[in-house]
Amino acid sequence: MSVADRLPLVVERDDGLRLRLLSGLEFDRRQLAIIAVTLVLLLLLPDIVSIVGLSFPFILKGLTFGIAALGVNLLLRHTQLVSFGHAAFFGAGAYATAVMASYGGVESGLLLLLGAALVGTLTAVFIGFLVAGHREIYFALLTLAFGQLMFAIVIGSQFFNFDDGLSVRVDGARASLLGIDRALGVGSAGYRVLLYYGILVILLGLLLLTWRIVNSPFGKTLDAIGQNDLRAEFIGIPVKRHIWTVFILSGLYGGIGGGLFALLQPHIRPQGTLHVLISGELLLMALVGGFQTILGPIIGGVIIIYLLDLARFQADYYNALAGIILVAVVLFFPQGLLGSTDQMRSGARQIREDPSVVGTWAKALGARAAGGVRNGIASTKHLLFGGD
Amino acid sequence: MLEARNLRKEFGSLVATDDVSLRFGEEPGEMVFIVGPNGAGKTTLVNLLTGHLSPDEGAVVIHETDDDGETNERDITELEPRERVENGLVRSFQIVQVFEEMTVRENVRMAVLSQHGHKSSMFTHYNAHDEVEREVDELLDEFGLDGDADDTAEELPHGDRKLLDVAMSFGLDPTYLLLDEPTSGVGAREKERVINTVVEASNTQNVTTVTIEHDMDIVSEYADRLVALHQGRVYAEGDPSLLETDTDLRRVLLGVDE
Repeated sequence: MSVADRLPLVVERDDGLRLRLLSGLEFDRRQLAIIAVTLVLLLLLPDIVSIVGLSFPFILKGLTFGIAALGVNLLLRHTQLVSFGHAAFFGAGAYATAVMASYGGVESGLLLLLGAALVGTLTAVFIGFLVAGHREIYFALLTLAFGQLMFAIVIGSQFFNFDDGLSVRVDGARASLLGIDRALGVGSAGYRVLLYYGILVILLGLLLLTWRIVNSPFGKTLDAIGQNDLRAEFIGIPVKRHIWTVFILSGLYGGIGGGLFALLQPHIRPQGTLHVLISGELLLMALVGGFQTILGPIIGGVIIIYLLDLARFQADYYNALAGIILVAVVLFFPQGLLGSTDQMRSGARQIREDPSVVGTWAKALGARAAGGVRNGIASTKHLLFGGD
Repeated sequence: MLEARNLRKEFGSLVATDDVSLRFGEEPGEMVFIVGPNGAGKTTLVNLLTGHLSPDEGAVVIHETDDDGETNERDITELEPRERVENGLVRSFQIVQVFEEMTVRENVRMAVLSQHGHKSSMFTHYNAHDEVEREVDELLDEFGLDGDADDTAEELPHGDRKLLDVAMSFGLDPTYLLLDEPTSGVGAREKERVINTVVEASNTQNVTTVTIEHDMDIVSEYADRLVALHQGRVYAEGDPSLLETDTDLRRVLLGVDE
């Protein structure tokens, strides 16, 4: 009997043994080693962060946004649909948590999170039904409109306490994390670490779910719809129903992300959860991290939130940072950070072989910028003073 | 049998399809060619049959013979294109419609997965359905695409793109296959290969095909029956030898005055 027959999850392939996590998802030894190291680093992250002097709360918050960005990316990467209203689901999740805590006195973190996931999903069921028949700019504008509608309802409603928002604490106490935090008697730093491990487990589960979905026949029909919805319909794919389904799934991710975000906060407000800027940031996270990758939105979420929250205390116009990052990514890394690793590697190799190449790049960049400025001046002249 | 019953379609003041009644596949597996000058309403007719357009008047009906030899009529005029596909009514387009960024294999697999009812499955792997993979291999082989299986559709030469489009249609296991100019834009030498492959596949699987075609040599060589449309109406219908004998038809189709 070979090893593969005795151990569960282990399969034998031509190039040796592999660990089989899901049907079609297999890792060889090298990949397993990388995964193991990554997991250890993630487990030690709270300590690593404090040693190198990074802000742990920023990273936590970034992860919760990254989870919502995973959902945005499901639509963006596969069906090629741009949603400008995903804050609706993030906000729905966050507000579901706050309402349950403020009005219902629910203390269980698990219940609060389930409620957030449920409300985020139901919101997507409703909005998705109305937008699934539309494409491109109409889809983008409709999602934007529904997002704005939710924002307007919340800031105008006494139930949601207008733009002052709601508390997520019951009598000042944080939500219970399966009772573990109470048993250990942790303080606020310890609570954050516990919640981080919870988020990690949920995140890994959601990543596996994402992988499963995008590599299923259903996931492939999403690619088909994105590339040619006419042909998709004519090979028998229920285009509208599949868009609705993936929209609901992305709402689930948004609800979970929003719920986790709320658990991190003492208090949530509409500006930080439902505002259209949040929808823009979620899209930006997917783009920055690399929307053609599964992990990209998570990386993007942590980076964007970290930079924005850092800038919030340093600069007056910190919101401009999001715009600058977007311009930089679109110009230099259209595939996002994770999507550009090959490009970066070859760039690094070129620099090693011939450091003067940096000068050439800088010159090319300067020429491009100068060309842009010249064009801008010419266009402005044209607009102001008419034709030649 | 697929029946067009008094179909009529207007676009503004233009009557694109005018009281067209036709039957396809009374002999299962027959090969019908639709001919006619530009603007005769050929593509509109195909669009009406496949649900890309809905008619102003008339009906599209499928006649089925059940196990007891009883014939049932089913009106499919109100069905979505997708639901017609599930009823065995499949089409290709004049301009190649494939999934450009997918490989040839992925394109064909998409159709076969759909035909096998796996299209909404979320928790299986896309290539883990053995019967689907076998059928994909067979189709790639049958259409001479096995060598290009891992190229993306956009990289293929035009003739192969046409074949890929048709291969996907066959992957849907059609009873009726409507082909809108399968050889348009294909070079003279390639044409033979494309049409031969299509005809062979139709014969092997006993598919009733309705093909729009401008090349009269192809029509005379392969047609069991021809339907000539002119100004939205059925102008002539019958044996392909009509192309030789019917002088009115020759004048309308070819502009030949004899």
